Amino acid sequence: MSDGQRSPTTGSGQIVVSGLTKQYKNVRAVNDLSFTVEPGRVTGFLGPNGAGKTTTLRMLLNLVTPTAGSATIGGRRYADLTDPLRHVGAVLEASSAHKGRTGINHLRVIAAAAGLPKTRADEVLAMVGLTPAAKRKFKGYSLGMKQRLGIAAAMLGDPRVLVLDEPANGLDPEGIRWMRGFLKALATEGRTVLVSSHLLSEMQLLADDVVIIAAGQLIRQGPVDQVIGSMAQTTRVRVRTPQATELAKALREQSAVVEVDPHGALLVAGVDAATVGRAALAVQAELHELTTERPDLEGVFLELTAGKAGIR
Amino acid sequence: MNLVRSELLKIRTTAAWLWMALGALLAVALAFVTNAWLAHTTLTGDADMLGLPPEEAAAQQDVVGQAANLYTSGQYFGLLFVMLIGVLMVTNEFFHQTATTTFLSTPKRTSVIFSKLVAASLIGFVFWLVTSVINLVAGALFMSINDFGTQLGEWEVQRAFLFNLLAYALWTILGIGVGTLITNQIGAVVTSAVVYLIGTQVASLFFFLLSSWLDSEAVLKWQVVLPSVASSVMVNSIESPMLPAWWVGALVLVGYAVVTGTIGILITRRRDIS
Repeated sequence: MSDGQRSPTTGSGQIVVSGLTKQYKNVRAVNDLSFTVEPGRVTGFLGPNGAGKTTTLRMLLNLVTPTAGSATIGGRRYADLTDPLRHVGAVLEASSAHKGRTGINHLRVIAAAAGLPKTRADEVLAMVGLTPAAKRKFKGYSLGMKQRLGIAAAMLGDPRVLVLDEPANGLDPEGIRWMRGFLKALATEGRTVLVSSHLLSEMQLLADDVVIIAAGQLIRQGPVDQVIGSMAQTTRVRVRTPQATELAKALREQSAVVEVDPHGALLVAGVDAATVGRAALAVQAELHELTTERPDLEGVFLELTAGKAGIR
Repeated sequence: MNLVRSELLKIRTTAAWLWMALGALLAVALAFVTNAWLAHTTLTGDADMLGLPPEEAAAQQDVVGQAANLYTSGQYFGLLFVMLIGVLMVTNEFFHQTATTTFLSTPKRTSVIFSKLVAASLIGFVFWLVTSVINLVAGALFMSINDFGTQLGEWEVQRAFLFNLLAYALWTILGIGVGTLITNQIGAVVTSAVVYLIGTQVASLFFFLLSSWLDSEAVLKWQVVLPSVASSVMVNSIESPMLPAWWVGALVLVGYAVVTGTIGILITRRRDIS
């Protein structure tokens, strides 16, 4: 089959979600949601708990039937893909394997269903560093090992599109760093990587683009820097000094905006750290701290989703 | 074909089938001893001690029928165990949340259920093969030692073997159907076991009372609407006034398998997996 020679960079791995809606009995979990996910980049899919992230991903993968709208991968619905595992790999729940089955057998069952060679199971297990636990039963796996097994399963068909739902859940710092490197490398190879999460600091390190939803609706989509930059939040300089009053006066004279935080530190906007340092020297203020505070994804996210919290 | 291989691998890589197989073997051993005693008692003329009505006792005094019964020993519990395997083949997917993985590798859900049905019939076949070989060897020995003759040349005995196979395949399929209707694992296992073991007795009692009340033995034949009665009627070659013809049982059982299989496929196609 020519599929075997296919490099992950050929063919479009673009995900297009268009007018997607899911109405449950009492809740409209996803409401007319549209966004696109580009190949070669890691896209963070963000939203408060209950925003509809999981439902959206499950509609994309034909596990949940949409009430309206459509979701396509490379122009085709998931259900219409021939050999779907060769196109799309998905990691949905950490615990989706039979507890009495060994890790390697879990992968062999999937490989058999997808018509992939048995040896592929050993390869992906080695890829995620689980080879030593290959013959251990799933119930003996730690949460981190379960996540790795899920990723191994997703990589079985060497797909050009990766969809992951909260993959960092339950991982230790070492595991999170491993995952970050792994997903970034996949995107660099030209694959599409869509990752849902509510760990915003992690997303800021990992994602190139973000799609932010709340209450089932799109709030913002775009490159991380652009989304952060679009918000009112600006870079501020945080400075602590025993001579706070004098310094604040001097800075205001240079048309800086100065606020005092509850701990007595000054938060200075409108000038950079060097200007603050020079001003401090001029008024002979003794500096205990001088830091530049950049607006982060977390602040932007909280501002964007304020009042649209999860419980509906 | 890949899907059927995957389904069989799912079964081989977990322990449930082993317990069901042990249960089925134990059932064969116990049933064989009981049936051998029954055959010996009826065929040597001590039928009175079974306390049966005279025409029933006469019907039982049939060497071919007793041979068929002996060669299909362990069917009652064997069928329960293969049905439970069928139930587990579906409910495991929901209990362990592997349905997600399964439907990701095969979004065409009808194919998934069909492959489960095929894999289930193959498992039914293996259970039939093993229990039949045991019954064949032990039964032929018993029949010849007691000078009843093996009766293996009789069509009715051969038919009992063949329809026992059909019963094993159909009951595993029934199990799949039950599993798709009741996806809660404990609920499905308990329901199917209770309906099979106790439901049959209760319904038989009901039919018995109905028959005495109406003073009609013909009513008893309607017991065949129960799947477990249908399958024992199907393999039974003894012409008893209490039981309808074998092909009625076969039709009823095929009907159940087709109906539960179809409903199972329709439900699974529409279900949201979350």
